[in-house]
Amino acid sequence: MAERPPLLRELEALLGASRCLSDPAARAVYARDASHMTLGRPLCVCLPAASDEVAGVVSLCLRHGVPYVARGAGTGLSGGALPGAGAVVISLARMEEVGEVDPVSRTVRVGPGAVNERIDAHAAAAGLEFAPDPSSQSAATIGGNIAENAGGPHCLRVGVTARHVRALEWVDPDGNVHGAAAGDDRSVPVVRGVDPETLLIGGEGTLGIVTAAELELVPLPAAAATLLALFPKLDAATDAVVGLLRAGMLPAALELVDRAMLEVVDEAFAFGFPAETDAAMIVEFTGAAAEVAEDAERAAGLLVAAGAAEARLARSDREREDLWRCRKKAFGAVGRLSPAYVTMDVAVPVGRLPDIVRVTAEQSRLHRVRIATALHAGDGNLHPGVMYDDRDEDSMARAHAAADAIILAALEMGGTVTGEHGVGVEKLHLLDRQLDPEAARLMAGIKELYDPRGLCNPGKAVLPFGAPISPRPRPAPADARFDWESLIVSAPADARLADLQREALARGFRIPAGAARADLTVGELVDHGAAGPGPLASGPDQDAVLEIWAETGDGRAFHAGAPTPKNVAGYDLVRLLCGAAGELATPRAATLSLRPAPESIGIRSWSGAGKLDPAALAYLRGILAGRDSALAGPAVRLSEGDLTVLAPGRDRDWDLVRLDADLARWGRDAGLGENGSGILPFAKGWELACGWVARPGPWCVLQRRIGGGAWPLSPLPAGATWIWRSVPEAIWLDRADAESPFGWRSEPVAAADGSSPPPRSSDSDRAEELRRGLKDLFDPGGRLPGPSRSTEAT
Amino acid sequence: MNRERDTELAEKLDTLLRSCVQCGLCLPHCATYLATGNEAMSPRGRLLLLGEMLSGDDSGMGPAALDAFDLCIGCRACETACPSGVPYELLAEAKAMADEAAGPMRGVAARPLASPAVLGILREGASAARGAFGGIFGDRWRRRLEDAPAPARRLGRLLNTVPEVPRADAALIGMLDRLSGLSTPPDARPPRAAEAVREAALFTGCASGTLLEAAQLRLRALLAACGVALRIPAGQECCGALDRHLGASGRADARHARNTAALAAAARETGAVIVEAAGCGLELKGYPPEIAEHVVDVSVLLAQMDPPALRGVPLKVVLHDPCHARHGQGIVDEPRLLLDRIPDLSRLEPAEPEVCCGSGGAYSVFHPDLAQEMGRRKARVLAATGADLAVTTNPGCMGQIADGLALEAPDLPILPLSDLLWYAALT
Repeated sequence: MAERPPLLRELEALLGASRCLSDPAARAVYARDASHMTLGRPLCVCLPAASDEVAGVVSLCLRHGVPYVARGAGTGLSGGALPGAGAVVISLARMEEVGEVDPVSRTVRVGPGAVNERIDAHAAAAGLEFAPDPSSQSAATIGGNIAENAGGPHCLRVGVTARHVRALEWVDPDGNVHGAAAGDDRSVPVVRGVDPETLLIGGEGTLGIVTAAELELVPLPAAAATLLALFPKLDAATDAVVGLLRAGMLPAALELVDRAMLEVVDEAFAFGFPAETDAAMIVEFTGAAAEVAEDAERAAGLLVAAGAAEARLARSDREREDLWRCRKKAFGAVGRLSPAYVTMDVAVPVGRLPDIVRVTAEQSRLHRVRIATALHAGDGNLHPGVMYDDRDEDSMARAHAAADAIILAALEMGGTVTGEHGVGVEKLHLLDRQLDPEAARLMAGIKELYDPRGLCNPGKAVLPFGAPISPRPRPAPADARFDWESLIVSAPADARLADLQREALARGFRIPAGAARADLTVGELVDHGAAGPGPLASGPDQDAVLEIWAETGDGRAFHAGAPTPKNVAGYDLVRLLCGAAGELATPRAATLSLRPAPESIGIRSWSGAGKLDPAALAYLRGILAGRDSALAGPAVRLSEGDLTVLAPGRDRDWDLVRLDADLARWGRDAGLGENGSGILPFAKGWELACGWVARPGPWCVLQRRIGGGAWPLSPLPAGATWIWRSVPEAIWLDRADAESPFGWRSEPVAAADGSSPPPRSSDSDRAEELRRGLKDLFDPGGRLPGPSRSTEAT
Repeated sequence: MNRERDTELAEKLDTLLRSCVQCGLCLPHCATYLATGNEAMSPRGRLLLLGEMLSGDDSGMGPAALDAFDLCIGCRACETACPSGVPYELLAEAKAMADEAAGPMRGVAARPLASPAVLGILREGASAARGAFGGIFGDRWRRRLEDAPAPARRLGRLLNTVPEVPRADAALIGMLDRLSGLSTPPDARPPRAAEAVREAALFTGCASGTLLEAAQLRLRALLAACGVALRIPAGQECCGALDRHLGASGRADARHARNTAALAAAARETGAVIVEAAGCGLELKGYPPEIAEHVVDVSVLLAQMDPPALRGVPLKVVLHDPCHARHGQGIVDEPRLLLDRIPDLSRLEPAEPEVCCGSGGAYSVFHPDLAQEMGRRKARVLAATGADLAVTTNPGCMGQIADGLALEAPDLPILPLSDLLWYAALT
């Protein structure tokens, strides 16, 4: 018998034999995952229980030059967690701890092996949930969700995983642990400068291993209304999806399944769909009870007008749960019809949904393969399941031909090969059709920078240097172009955001960034965010950016991202560039998303608030805090003794009318003088908010640290203008030197000339090294602002 | 031997393998996977191994693969979780056939190893299936003898997991008074029999009939208070589930026959055979139709009846679902409904309620370390709810969890659900 490899002996010494599995059974099992592919048998499977053990395993692999791959529950569909022959599998399944929920900052710290659904169960006690809900959530772990930047049905309103990760702890390919430093919060609405950690989200475990995450939670909705709409024609259903979004509706989830998938689901769960149904749609609204009832009724009307045979509400919580169970377990159930199938994951701009669905049907006929499709329709993300018989080579070849044809068609439409499953090994052969050569080169450079030895999950996610690329030019827009079908706008970097907003608002839509200075350009939005208060936001400003055309420091043009809210093809260069303060590249143009604007805005203003009791302010915040919205959150300004509240919503008894009465009562109790009040069209309130921030600065932001103190009650300086916004929550002051209350931090975000102050320095040497490395990769000559490698020598 | 049965089994195994799409949704519901963190100890892992063996790619599959099959506790949580409808119980059937061929603890030495020769037979397919499974699984007994934990450890495990309840009513009342802060007057009476509205036969069982005799007497009073007139036919014995767990299906079959004879008349006349323990209930549902069709879990029956007046019991209570009830019989709502009837009681839901506690009949005795790890995990999630009291409806689970609680959360007691209901019905 051959001698046991020294690495194995050392790993056993580190973890103990029971947590270092090298028996043939474990090696056979861990050679596979949900992707039905295999690359080879691993050397062994390590089961570390803590970050330093992960670091220890990585260090040993590094010393012996053996590749390694992190793994959660092995539910990935793209083969991202498959080991190569002789590699070390680092299973994070035992690092499953879920920490205490912080109900104030709405965060929870979890281990990478925590199962998505169990985080939800845990957070529910505090009235919160983790929004991303991939269909595998009953088994998939958060480490895998982060590595793939997972989505799910309920990401339509609130965004995919990247939007909900606040901080990471990770082990780099040198074997160092990087803790989540205090205040290192990804949701902070300020320019961070270059953030090397952001690439770990969606990095498919090729840049490092996440060993803990601080997650942002969202409130559980007060009510949900779930519509089931049945269509006799699939075409009518996809048209109806586009129609619903164009009509300004933004459900929490908007899902579609075709007839073949319905048959699967009915077979599995005996739901009892009528036989003449060609497509079934689930439309879910969440929010206040009256709001969801109104939305569901309106949506049902639109769907019936668009050709639905019926559109009815789930009759009970149980029926709603059944519907979601059918939807989420649909893919597993395909196994009842076919022993094998390819699960695809293309995404297209939502306006092209009807086209890609037609292509799918054509390819099914052309190649004589059965395809069952489930669609996250509202995101333009579809999962055709192409069935074949794995004992019949001809059937397998036809299935793959159909799948490739569908992917190429999606790319022609501006889409992506993968919306949420990741590239892994499965889609590597198609990446060259999507990425432009310069972006592919940058990604290969990033991989080399983070993992110079090439041992960290090699051969996945990105193409190696020098791989042939078939360019698919996607020309940058010369002037602003709105696509009202797909609800996106592409514009050159010098276009003014305010002009675009005005045009969008005229149609009832908005770019989901906060109110900003009138002269802020699209390029500045990419580089700096709104670089000021940005009231009436619905999330970090950069979330509005889907696609960027840019130029590196040495003048090489590249294109990153795709005009769809879900895209995980290669590293997330869009997130890397957003907020990077122009240090890495100069944006030339960008595609921004459009979302429905709130209908109305409630305005109320008082005088004599200069010496307002801080407790009264905290109470006011309490009144407004429940009004977080994916459309726009409320804002408050205190300036020269005048206090003004802007609250987006609906002009109904149950919404703004009631709120206004609450605010009036609050003002009386606080002894303030009435300046006036009213409920106006949203665009009016928007103009007012833009006026608040017209002055370039300086602005300073107070931001609660994770697990930080209470709402600041005392140290707000007298005589300052301050602006509070709720999503993500922050308080801005019009002076750069405000003191930090306990548990908060104060940071200058805009200088007097409107530019951003210099970015923060990094928290660790390695992060600083990565930041410099990225700088060197994107801007080798150091022509762009920010520290470059040439300045490092000192 | 029985060629038809062999062919049928081979076809079933093929179905089993081809219906698994490897999605992995079973993993976090599998107690052995959770306890070990090893995917080879998960349902998907076991099927992958089986597939490798059958396809010939068995490069050195040896004891570790056998362990993987052997250590399946048979809770069937994976079947509940599986979207693809994998009939996982077929694997258990195959194991049982092999065990039967091997004989319980006898003839062990005569069983072949899972040698390349045997695996070769396996690959020949259909008609070899039975022999092959004899080969794979028969070996477990030999391994059990060789690798078996020291007898003392097994005996210790057996004693530590014997379910216990307060025998005297007064002891139970005292315990629940202490927990709830109530003070039950010394002259409180057990629930009084209501006017009978229906008749039912009671299956007395062995564990519940002897080990937990006191609890069963209280249950009888409770049933009477709900208007159930009980008939307790003579000649009953153990349901046979434990024999089956030990691979002695012949002995189990004999018990089936004797119990069927004892219960048949009462079952026919009353239309209901009430079973107190979920494990026995599932076994009885595999009896001949004259019994099986009338089997009713006691919590299902109680949920259908008008309850006696219940007093408020201000306790936080967490329920553990036995796998035999939740996965085997689909009983989930009824015991919860019963708890919800008790005024002032707040019912808590544990995390991962579908995960097995590690009792599994004789499992916890044969695999004490793994079973104890499962029991401790279950104890931790029950305790994490902040409950004052845990309840369940199967004696095996109760003993197993009590052992886990002793190590993880000694302040959290566990009782049969019926004992809590009885306490609430005191007048």
